[in-house]
Amino acid sequence: MKLFASDNRKPVKNLSAVFSILIVLTASGFALAQQKVSRRFPAGKNVRFELKNVTGTITVETWDRDEISVTALMDNRKATINPRITEAGLVIDIVGDNRALGNVGDINFKIQLPARSSVDLETRSGQINVHNVQGDLVRAHIWTSGDIQMLGVNASRVFASNVEGNIFFDGDLIAGGTYEFKSGRGTISLQLPASCGFHVVATSSVKRISMGPFWDERRMRLLSEGRRVTGDVGDGRASVTITNYQGDIQFFRR
Amino acid sequence: MNCENYQILLSDFVDGTLPAEDCARLELHLGSCPDCTDARSDLRVIVDFCRGQRGQYDSLPNEHAMWLRISNLIEAERGLSNQLQPATEPGRLFRLMHRSWQVSLPQLAGIVGAVVVAVALATGFGVRQFLGTGTPTLAQITPEVPIPERHRQQQEMIAYWNQRVDLNKARWSQQMRDTFDRNVGVIDAAVDDSMKQLAVNPHDPVSEDILNDALNDKVALLKEFSDY
Repeated sequence: MKLFASDNRKPVKNLSAVFSILIVLTASGFALAQQKVSRRFPAGKNVRFELKNVTGTITVETWDRDEISVTALMDNRKATINPRITEAGLVIDIVGDNRALGNVGDINFKIQLPARSSVDLETRSGQINVHNVQGDLVRAHIWTSGDIQMLGVNASRVFASNVEGNIFFDGDLIAGGTYEFKSGRGTISLQLPASCGFHVVATSSVKRISMGPFWDERRMRLLSEGRRVTGDVGDGRASVTITNYQGDIQFFRR
Repeated sequence: MNCENYQILLSDFVDGTLPAEDCARLELHLGSCPDCTDARSDLRVIVDFCRGQRGQYDSLPNEHAMWLRISNLIEAERGLSNQLQPATEPGRLFRLMHRSWQVSLPQLAGIVGAVVVAVALATGFGVRQFLGTGTPTLAQITPEVPIPERHRQQQEMIAYWNQRVDLNKARWSQQMRDTFDRNVGVIDAAVDDSMKQLAVNPHDPVSEDILNDALNDKVALLKEFSDY
């Protein structure tokens, strides 16, 4: 079907302009439909931050200020965010605050807090990113699907778990610390400094465990036909437990 | 007011019938008191559950044991009352029932109020017991129990929580339903895989660990989504 004669390009130009305007209007419509909420809370250096979301991305970053900044982008304008200041720090419970609402929709959080903070993050689905946190605890739990990324994390207790999605940890292991990673289906990758020491119990029922440069056949052994690797690296003082039902486990040297 | 007084207001607060002034005071208190906030969350869960269950009856997973305990208690009390009271004399309850009562209107209102509060507390406590200790927990399933029996017990728990999830599933978005089903499928695959491994090698510790982990994960997932 020939819409326009090749010698007359003006209608084509007009049509392009109309489409461009429509695209811009649609995009701004989406932007207007979302609601952005920003708040700041005073905090000490060793604050604890807890967030229980329903769906959406959670990104936690650190900064030099003694305060917590919470920015939320909500799909559902009726959703309620009711941060609660406790003795330990700040708690946001989207599940509890919106129990009567039903479908809360996606809420994407961006959190900025002091580097020495502990963070406890949970969502039913969505991605969790944690950057440069150096407090006592870093916990990220996704009840169903979503990736977890922890970069520059230096905490003595780290827990990351999901059912469907990848987990990537890049950070230091502290002697005496506990590190647990668990996924149902997804790749679990740990990128660690060459000098770190830990005791590892890595279990993957599909037998895909790669210890990479940390493999030491004198100090490690394979169990159940290679579905579990256990042993020590370096001083073996940190405890690393990894369980993956149907995915890979990989170790890299930073 | 102390926490106890605030918690008395919680029921009306959750129902939305609390006067605005009390509401404001209570909200202010909730902002600073984690115990009362937890109590509010618990009550809200109970109320939501009761609303969801209105007109329905769910049999308890350990129904037989519960009726046995009730029966034992009745028998024990009957035996005790037989020992304490001579059979020929009318009992205290009999005298109480056949006594004529004269009460003023405020007294009557007070009695009615007390009965309502007692019934509400008993109902709340009962439902809480039902939700908490009434349902089987993972802690009750000891590792000493043989694998098939442990597996059967865990499957019972899963069936119970599955039933509760199914009640709410219709309210979820299609996307959430798909995500949930897909994730349950991932866990089920791990369970099946472990069962197959254990059929070949019944004492394989890795398969045992994965089976336990996967079943516990499934119960936790169902529990989390049972009030969504």
